Amino acid sequence: MRTLEELKGKHFDYLKKITAVDYLTYLEAVYMLYNIEEKKDEIVKVKLELPTDKKSRLSLPTVMHVYKSADWYERELQEMFGIMIEGRDVQRLLLENWNGIDYPLRKSFEWGKDYRKEGETE
Amino acid sequence: MGLMRINVGPIHPSTHGVLRLVVDVDGDTIKNVEPHIGFLHRGVEKLCETRMYMQNPSYFEKLDYISPLSWDEIYVSAVEQALGIPVKEAAQWVRVIQLELQRIANHLLWIGTLCNDIGQMFTTFMWAFRDRAQVLKLLEDVSGGRMFYVHLRLGGFQRPLPPDFAERTYNLTDYLERNVLQYRDVLDENPIFTERLRNVGAISERDAIDYGVTGPVLRASGVAEDVRKSKPYYVYDKLDFSIPTGTRGDSLDRYKVRYREIFESIKIIRQCLDMMPNEGDIVGMPIRLIGPPAKPDTVIVSRELPKGEGIIYMVPDKQRPYRVSIRSPGFINLAALPKLSVGAKFADLFAIFGSLDVIFGETDR
Repeated sequence: MRTLEELKGKHFDYLKKITAVDYLTYLEAVYMLYNIEEKKDEIVKVKLELPTDKKSRLSLPTVMHVYKSADWYERELQEMFGIMIEGRDVQRLLLENWNGIDYPLRKSFEWGKDYRKEGETE
Repeated sequence: MGLMRINVGPIHPSTHGVLRLVVDVDGDTIKNVEPHIGFLHRGVEKLCETRMYMQNPSYFEKLDYISPLSWDEIYVSAVEQALGIPVKEAAQWVRVIQLELQRIANHLLWIGTLCNDIGQMFTTFMWAFRDRAQVLKLLEDVSGGRMFYVHLRLGGFQRPLPPDFAERTYNLTDYLERNVLQYRDVLDENPIFTERLRNVGAISERDAIDYGVTGPVLRASGVAEDVRKSKPYYVYDKLDFSIPTGTRGDSLDRYKVRYREIFESIKIIRQCLDMMPNEGDIVGMPIRLIGPPAKPDTVIVSRELPKGEGIIYMVPDKQRPYRVSIRSPGFINLAALPKLSVGAKFADLFAIFGSLDVIFGETDR
């Protein structure tokens, strides 16, 4: 996160998007930054190794203090990829009645399986 | 007086989709707004990973059903870059013309529904729909679909243009210019309309960048940022047009920026018609002739959509994308709604929300 703070010091002050890609053995978080004055792009990628035991979770520190626009993107990361955001109380964004254990944009997601919370109906 | 929590919705504000807001008010003043989205979530990003490359454009058209061609084009461009397919020269000009037509149609509908949202009922709405219908008619004759086109193919289009396309487009720009100028009489010079929007939902240049708002909302705050200028694609670098910007960053400025963008788009279309080659094949590849990708690791395509900057971050694979990540302008503009509306009156909430031009197809994905 120090990289992001340094880049912000170099006028990369517009955060375009935070996203992630699941490469099966590891996850890659992607921060897309933009320098409005010089019209330059910068992409920061963070590699996150998947833990071997199921109890430990992936996590990233929050960048809310650097870019306020990170708010909803961080919520999306946690919801869709299960990357916990340290230093924030992240709430649900898109999915209602989701069990909160499985993450839809991971490659381990199974089609046709019922991922609703127990006891929830239509 | 203590805070009162009001639940708004889930409602369907004009044409935008389904939204629920939880608003804390102190008397009539908004203290906090919490948007709840996700009612239109279809998992487009996940669906794309299971379909072949050219099966996906119709999903992308449903992201923003007001300007479907824009999302269609950005996805097809991403696939073209992944597979290393160049776009034919003539097709580039025609794509620019159609994208600008789509931008006009989007802004016209937005002006109409904004007026409905703020209580200037139906006159402007009917005018805007009348003019938008002419744009849709032209695009229908080109593509075969009135709302959803899906006529882009890799490298070009599905079929050649109708023979009278250039002449009809000229006539359409004249028609639009004449009619859109009339809006000024009922909107710009109407104090009821302007005072309803002036200083409502203002955001400063500093905050606009910090909160990441994009498109006309960012430009209304005075930041002249437009992907068509900063990273020109297709033939935009050969064209002469300006970027309208505002000064106060309020709802009225957002209206003025979009209103002036309509005329800039008309200017672009006329230049394209003058400068484009008369002869030239615009038909792209048939769908079945798609080979394996040319092996870039990632493809990032950035486009100026009518609502703001849209980005596709794609990781290509052999027959289908491995991952498609969508940055939609509506998502980030809606995330700034709490910042815009805290301190405003409750009655202004939808004057602010309407001015953002959020569409929930792309917000929820």
